[in-house]
Amino acid sequence: MSIDVAQRDQTPPSGPEPTTKGRHRVLSPPVTGQELVLIGVIAVLWAILAFTTPAFFTPSSIQPLVASVAPIALIGIGMTVVIITGGIDVSVGAAIAVCSVITAKLVLVQAGQSLPVALIISVIVGGLLGLLNGVLIAYGRVHAIIITFGTANIFLWIALKIFNSTTVNNIPDTLAPLGNGAPGRTFGVPNSFLITVVLAAIAWYYLRHTAGGRHFFAIGGDQLAAQLAGVKVRQRILAAYLLTGLLVGLASTFVVAQGSNLGQNVGNGKELAVIAAVVIGGTSITGGRGSVLGTVLGALLVQTVASGVTQLGWRSELSDLFVGVAIIIAVGADLLRERARRKR
Amino acid sequence: MTVPTLSEPEATAPDKRSGARGPERAESLPARVIRALLTQRIVLLAVLIVLVVVYFMVLGANGYLTAAYDFDYMSAALINAVPLAMLGFAELIVILSGRGGIDLSVGAIVSLAGMIFGFAYGQWGWPLWLSILITVIVGGVLGLINGILVAYIGFPALIATLATYYAYKSLAVVINNQRPISTRPIQDLYDSTARSVQLPVIGAWIPDVPKGIFLFLLPTMIVVWLLLARTTYGRRVYAIGTNDVAARWSAIGVRATRAGAYMISGLISGLVAVVTVGQFASARPDAGVSGNGMALPAITIAVLGGVAITGGIGRVSGIVLATVLIVWMNAGIRLAFEGNAGPQNQLLALGLLLVFAALLNGFALRRYGGAG
Repeated sequence: MSIDVAQRDQTPPSGPEPTTKGRHRVLSPPVTGQELVLIGVIAVLWAILAFTTPAFFTPSSIQPLVASVAPIALIGIGMTVVIITGGIDVSVGAAIAVCSVITAKLVLVQAGQSLPVALIISVIVGGLLGLLNGVLIAYGRVHAIIITFGTANIFLWIALKIFNSTTVNNIPDTLAPLGNGAPGRTFGVPNSFLITVVLAAIAWYYLRHTAGGRHFFAIGGDQLAAQLAGVKVRQRILAAYLLTGLLVGLASTFVVAQGSNLGQNVGNGKELAVIAAVVIGGTSITGGRGSVLGTVLGALLVQTVASGVTQLGWRSELSDLFVGVAIIIAVGADLLRERARRKR
Repeated sequence: MTVPTLSEPEATAPDKRSGARGPERAESLPARVIRALLTQRIVLLAVLIVLVVVYFMVLGANGYLTAAYDFDYMSAALINAVPLAMLGFAELIVILSGRGGIDLSVGAIVSLAGMIFGFAYGQWGWPLWLSILITVIVGGVLGLINGILVAYIGFPALIATLATYYAYKSLAVVINNQRPISTRPIQDLYDSTARSVQLPVIGAWIPDVPKGIFLFLLPTMIVVWLLLARTTYGRRVYAIGTNDVAARWSAIGVRATRAGAYMISGLISGLVAVVTVGQFASARPDAGVSGNGMALPAITIAVLGGVAITGGIGRVSGIVLATVLIVWMNAGIRLAFEGNAGPQNQLLALGLLLVFAALLNGFALRRYGGAG
């Protein structure tokens, strides 16, 4: 367990601490300071954008925005759990490539299957990839970042083999109910975003209010202590990566549904975008602390910035600069609060 | 265990072990060989390099390759080792410094510093030495920003360098409106950095070697080795990486030392920017971040070279051997497959090698209580 030595002397987790003052003292508040700040920042950004570009507050602008949030936020749910346990998964970008090319090329174009079949196959493939990561990390007892760097290369190889050096064209619109167009909306809201919100809400409740959910925090806080307290550490860690894989599979169907073509660069850099959303949302990269709500807000912030930059007519690459600054500010604010909390 | 390929470690490794740990001299020879393979990363890498080279030479001799896998080809392939190994050294120093040390931003620094070099040398017409100097300084400043964020403000390294990766990458694209700079002087750089040359005196008997090896890689390697192995600063890096609380009580300036590690990583990245501009004969805004980027391969090299991700353990020789292994393996794969299959299979080989090395690290740690 030498891996944890460096982490243990950093921020103590603000998760479950033994106290007798009742339930409200045990859990962090439902909406933490970080999340309030994020809500505020997003509100201010939306207000500025609405003020400067009248086209911003129209359905045709908001709908693609929230639809683009969906895959990042959805994978972010799994990544949040992984990071809470003190791990990380940098293979999700390559895993997206595998799931989406299998779904688009093999299942939809070549076999012409229906939506439920495509959905199930994509989720199963994603689950298998996640399972591989989980087994290697939980039972090989190797640092997650190294294993997932390795599996990212292997996944990318699988995806490129299936792509066979060409883009996938003429994808049938079987997945339209998950896409950007009119059939993909319920009461004007993209279905992909609705699914993400529902799953995020379930994950939020599970992580906060069930014993199983708290176990993930316990592992991230102190793996050894969690083990001594009876937490099945390896199974939980395996489950975290498996969950991420399953969600990657689901998110890949959103990605495929967004157009009739699929390029070989699908998923490129998505792992960093997901990690950015998670850390902007206030999840501690050293484990033991974090929330799914923050991750969804973080993804929303990142996509708002990206959308805003293009709508203001700036170079779209400039949005990366703001994402970098947002990470520094969000995590920096968290560090300052943590420092203040410890001084008290 | 096939005996012929193990002749090298048999000759060298047991000496080291018996010198280091007296009581274990009673071990049988096969046990000592296995121990050396598992615990001494450079022994394992050396064996793997021999295996890879022999394998591809046999394939080539039997006509399975599209071109000859000979010493000339292997030597020419070494040009790919220059940026890879140099960034491997950068990651080595940063990871050694501990506390989850890692630098995701090296590729973005290469892009941004490369654009600065393009401006200075290609557009403003500065002399070459001054352009290189300013590029390296820019790299150092960008690295120092990482160092301040990590060491003084307390950001986890992964977060700080992820953020600066985004920021630097974006600036590199915006700074010249996404256009590369490839004016005449920049194009002429290819000849003076990347071309293979015949060495004086012994050159007639060995293959031509790319200039970049002598101009950039070897000097960097020697400086980094001297820095880590022969200076107080180097020992401090190992000390803070092993246990930074103990290091603080030993009156080591932990913050300055750690910030310095990130600055050195930036300086090396700045130098790599010059190499990359020469190699491409163009200052490209996405030089260090296109595709998989440069950071991930560099971290892979470091891990494969036996650097412990937890800090405090790692050597220059491991990085060098890991780079040579990857470069010669990739060179062989390029000849063994036609078209896009080659680069694709390089991904698979790299991924398997990394997972294998990581699992082996874990196993060796449990079995022998320490991987060297």
